[in-house]
Amino acid sequence: MTEKERLDILEEWLKLHKGLIFKVVRAYTVEDHDDLFQEIIIQVWHSIPAFRQEASVTTWLYRIALNTAIKWTKKEKKYAGAEILDNVQHLLQENRIQVDERLTWLYGEIYKLDEIDRSVTLLLLEGFSYKEMSAMLGISESNVGVKINRIKKQLIAKSKNYDNHGI
Amino acid sequence: MEFDEMKKIWDAQNNQPLYVIDEKALHNRVQSKMSTVLRLTNISEWSLIMTYLVAGGILIGLNPFKRGANIFLYLEAIWMFAVVVYFVVSHIRRIKASRQFDRSIHGDLNHTISLLSYQVRLSQIIRWNLLPMGAIMIFSGWEAGKLFRVSAVILVSYTLAFYVTSKGIRANKRRKRELQVLKEKLETGN
Repeated sequence: MTEKERLDILEEWLKLHKGLIFKVVRAYTVEDHDDLFQEIIIQVWHSIPAFRQEASVTTWLYRIALNTAIKWTKKEKKYAGAEILDNVQHLLQENRIQVDERLTWLYGEIYKLDEIDRSVTLLLLEGFSYKEMSAMLGISESNVGVKINRIKKQLIAKSKNYDNHGI
Repeated sequence: MEFDEMKKIWDAQNNQPLYVIDEKALHNRVQSKMSTVLRLTNISEWSLIMTYLVAGGILIGLNPFKRGANIFLYLEAIWMFAVVVYFVVSHIRRIKASRQFDRSIHGDLNHTISLLSYQVRLSQIIRWNLLPMGAIMIFSGWEAGKLFRVSAVILVSYTLAFYVTSKGIRANKRRKRELQVLKEKLETGN
């Protein structure tokens, strides 16, 4: 596969599925959107030759984006900092749209979860089945079920506070 | 709020992307990062292999032309070639092992943990390998009547290598511990 073909695929995937990557970026960082986004794009680019169409592009991208986001730490951000300061060209800009406050709250609650639970929550909200989640996460379906039950209970309980305070 | 309602709120954002991408900036950043990230592990492995190979070659090549050829320098060169063989075998094993991990998040975490273990092991080998190499060099200096000078050079080199590798080893071990914690979180229901 030539570099040109690889870049074409990357551009097409980005055009069609960028929303998916945005969601992961938003759920995993409050500040360094650019850096995590860049890291995910690079990992996606690396993964293109290995894509065999056994999975859908969405599943493939979700897995790579989550893999990258989970391992993305403050340490890595620190290293990347110098590069960002040198090159103040922002990759992402907030879309100036009226965002549902409840969505902002939901992202806030997802962000409070640990890295693994964030992945499970994103996959759950995206409507992936237990079987798909189990394959993507590499753990058993029953383990996925246990995590989901706990996360759902937690989110519902917190939403009651949110409803009560009418934030 | 019930979970189904949260799902509806979540789905509603699909029609309104959260961000706008600056395509040109993205292209520039990806291109510049690609060239560095892509070959980093390979470069460090091959530069080690080449360093030992060239240093061993120089010892073998120049020793016969020196007055009073030193047997310990030949021994040092042979040791260096043996280390090169070890590095090449480790490199091949690493490439083969990287194909064994599945493409799930669990598999990816395992792969990264194994890579970090490999890097820690490599740094430790570089560090401890200086001991036998230094010992042979000290014997060589002793035979050539330059024991004090050679010992001083070995001591400085070892201290330097110890300092440089320690930082890398500590950073990789810390990163490995963090990933192991993530792996445990993934494996347990908590």
